[in-house]
Amino acid sequence: MARTLAMFTDTSLCIGCRACQVACKQWNELGMEAPEWTGGYQNHEHFTDKTYRLVRFIEEPKPSGDLAWLLMSDVCKHCAQAGCLDACPTGAIYRTEFGTVNINPDVCNGCRYCVSSCPFGVVAFNHETGTAKKCTFCNDRIHNGLGPACAKACPTESIQFGFRDELVAKAEKRVETLKGMGFKDAQLYGADAKGFLGGLNAFFLLLSKPSVYNLPDNPQRPQRNVVVDSLFSIGSALVVGLGAILAFRGRGQETGGGDA
Amino acid sequence: MLKTPGWEMMIVWYFFLGGIAGGAYFTAAVADNFGSARDGRVARVGYLLSLPLVAICGVLLILDLGVPMRFLNMMRAFKFWDPMSIGAWALGVFGLFAVVSSVLSFSTSEPRIALRRKIGLVGILFGFFLASYTGVLLSATALPPWNGGRLMGALFLASGASTGMAAISLILFLTGASAGDGWDRVKRADRFAMVFELVVLALFLFVLGSAGAPLVSGHLAPLFWGGLVVAGLIIPLVLELSLHGARATAAISPVLVLVGGFVLRYVMVMSVHT
Repeated sequence: MARTLAMFTDTSLCIGCRACQVACKQWNELGMEAPEWTGGYQNHEHFTDKTYRLVRFIEEPKPSGDLAWLLMSDVCKHCAQAGCLDACPTGAIYRTEFGTVNINPDVCNGCRYCVSSCPFGVVAFNHETGTAKKCTFCNDRIHNGLGPACAKACPTESIQFGFRDELVAKAEKRVETLKGMGFKDAQLYGADAKGFLGGLNAFFLLLSKPSVYNLPDNPQRPQRNVVVDSLFSIGSALVVGLGAILAFRGRGQETGGGDA
Repeated sequence: MLKTPGWEMMIVWYFFLGGIAGGAYFTAAVADNFGSARDGRVARVGYLLSLPLVAICGVLLILDLGVPMRFLNMMRAFKFWDPMSIGAWALGVFGLFAVVSSVLSFSTSEPRIALRRKIGLVGILFGFFLASYTGVLLSATALPPWNGGRLMGALFLASGASTGMAAISLILFLTGASAGDGWDRVKRADRFAMVFELVVLALFLFVLGSAGAPLVSGHLAPLFWGGLVVAGLIIPLVLELSLHGARATAAISPVLVLVGGFVLRYVMVMSVHT
């Protein structure tokens, strides 16, 4: 396996120009969608089957009464432990040699289990093709030595693409700098490979708590429930099975006075 | 900001009919192995009921795919940790058991009957799997309230067994075979399964806690309490226990149990749309 590639989105540098969102649409030929009124500048409200990169415009109330305008270019996290990949029954979702998570459009049969298994609500179903869609880290580009279209288009280097280990080191330094500048809530999200989901290959520098950005504090692999739930199901089977066996075995008593 | 898979009525029907198919097969195999010769009818009805149901289940699942022609792609992978993957395999294997057991249910030769009984015992495992894995499948997602209760599979299994027995007793009633004691035993087993289902349902809600709001107090609440708890479990149990053996209630309670089983799958699948 090649060295893991990653995307580091430093939200403190984002100016909300949406060059990334447009570049993504253009390169991946994602087509037009009807706009959504979200009460602010953000469009769309969330990822769709035609929106893989999405600049979020978040207004956070501050203690002073002002609003902080937080900008964040959001994308598929390409989790090291990816719920969508584990859920895919056809093997259409696979991990590339770079550590990214892709959907093979020729194999996906549209069961949509991946859609419900993404802890970030990234994977979307396309009704025209009948298959699931999401960001590929521009798989065609990275296999030809180009960065993803969004990172290339970003004018402020808010989106950086490269080897994961190098980017994490850079990001950690950047958090310290920001804290020194007074951004006391500056933090990394998904950078820690020992943290949730084995680390995210698209990780973020946030200026506030993850929940402010509509990100889960501690996302979990959905498959973690399988073992316990299966054991309870087996227990249920044993009880129901025993009950039925007893009901059919007790024929001596039954003829004696069962349906008197 | 989670996304729902958009599973609608086809999946509700699949969960419901898959539960009946698994439960009916299980009841048939138990009657076949542990009942007397007079329970032969229960066994035959159960085996023969599971076969068309599992076929319908397969059709529903395929039609619900975004690209139905690619349904065989499910066979490209076998992921033992993934309910969707092993569920697809188990549905196919259970279908084979239903075919073989149905064919053998007409057999009168002793060695073949012995073979059918042994096959039935193994088939029970797949029948139970079909009835319960759908609950585990919902649970192994990122979506509340699906992922909140640890007993969805256990609950679906109890309901599958109960609705399978109800379907058998209804067929026996409609075909005029409700006088035999095989019928009494199915009803007795069903009463037990219903009581157990009520217990599991209570535990399920307890584990789910506040995440269960869409079920117990949201727009699905009237259906949940009225359709499942009262009409689908409590009334049939009361009818069975108080008017034990009365002909008038003979058909009512299995019908109510079936309605309750359908409502259970409906409210669970739809609870994610809030």
